[in-house]
Amino acid sequence: MTDLPLSVNDADDMLAAEYVLGVLDLPERAAVEARLKRDPDFAARVVAWETRLEGLNDGYAEAPAPDLLPRIEARLFPTPSPPPARSLPLLRWLSGMAFGAVLVILTLATLGPPSMLPVVVLATADNRLAYEVASMGDSLRITRIAGVPAVAGQVHELWVIAPDAAPVSLGLLEEDPLIVGYPTPPAGWVMAVSIEPEGGSPTGLPTGPVILTALVGG
Amino acid sequence: MDDPVADLIARCAAADRAAFRSLYHTTSMKLMGVLLRMLGERAEAEDALQEVYTRVWLRAGRYDPAKGRGMTWLIAVARNLAIDRLRARPQPSGDAEIETVADTAPRAEARLVAQGDARRVSECFETLEPDRAQAVRGAYLDGLSYLQLADRHGVPLNTMRTWLRRSLLKLRECLDQ
Repeated sequence: MTDLPLSVNDADDMLAAEYVLGVLDLPERAAVEARLKRDPDFAARVVAWETRLEGLNDGYAEAPAPDLLPRIEARLFPTPSPPPARSLPLLRWLSGMAFGAVLVILTLATLGPPSMLPVVVLATADNRLAYEVASMGDSLRITRIAGVPAVAGQVHELWVIAPDAAPVSLGLLEEDPLIVGYPTPPAGWVMAVSIEPEGGSPTGLPTGPVILTALVGG
Repeated sequence: MDDPVADLIARCAAADRAAFRSLYHTTSMKLMGVLLRMLGERAEAEDALQEVYTRVWLRAGRYDPAKGRGMTWLIAVARNLAIDRLRARPQPSGDAEIETVADTAPRAEARLVAQGDARRVSECFETLEPDRAQAVRGAYLDGLSYLQLADRHGVPLNTMRTWLRRSLLKLRECLDQ
């Protein structure tokens, strides 16, 4: 049998199909991948074939997967980005709420009642646990509006995550509202709550399950 | 269209790590199934799974939900990685392992019949001669190269190339209707 004669159009489309099927050898695949980056029409052909053949994906049975997340995350997010300089030393102290109370009183005494602007509500789908984050200008106040604190030996820890950056701890959420010297996060940032051992994450990054997340301005 | 996987990928593109975790927990079994079937060894599949999710996080911004489903994109990332690894291996000749895999293919195809898109693919595959349909499926699901397909079906390489291209043109015609 001789090679199938193809129009230029069909030749391109067959190359896209062969790439999606996976039958090309490595140099041919590399050439296709280089072309994908500079030729949007060809890239569209590849996507069209991925969609045409997606029904075949049902032929892949699910298989038990080990929890590789810790290793993947360690690779993707190797070092916590440095938190804003002024907030870090505060965090250690802010877990003692006496200081928070002093801060509030000082603010009240010097500025009059601060205006509280809602930033975001972190809540489970069933609203059984919810924290409200409000801004007081240069600080945030986090109040639990539903549910209970973490069980004994554990604590809820609050995180703020800038785009493409590591989470930064804003402190521990216990019985009383948390007030932390931190500006209002811009839209597009994410706030999250994880469950950590008593005293907070030992690594400076979330180590336990992330139970609540919310997109600021989302 | 409701596509929770697409939503999670979009949130990953916005650096939402909690969404990344959810994405892993909801899709890793499927991708592990893809990698295990294509690569054949659990240790290598697990290593590849790490690499796949690393790529997913880094490339999430390139995914366009207007162009396809989230799961289809994820599986494409996993398959491309597996195929690159397979092609980098020294070429094996037709062996017993491939025969075993071939036996499971019709069952996989039969499972498709009940479902929407899958049914359409299945119907279009029926327009092909059985051994050619088998070759296309083997290429897609098991990541077989032209050489392996030619070996497995006992035909010259060029014949296999022509078979496959003719089949792809027929499939395109049928699927695009």
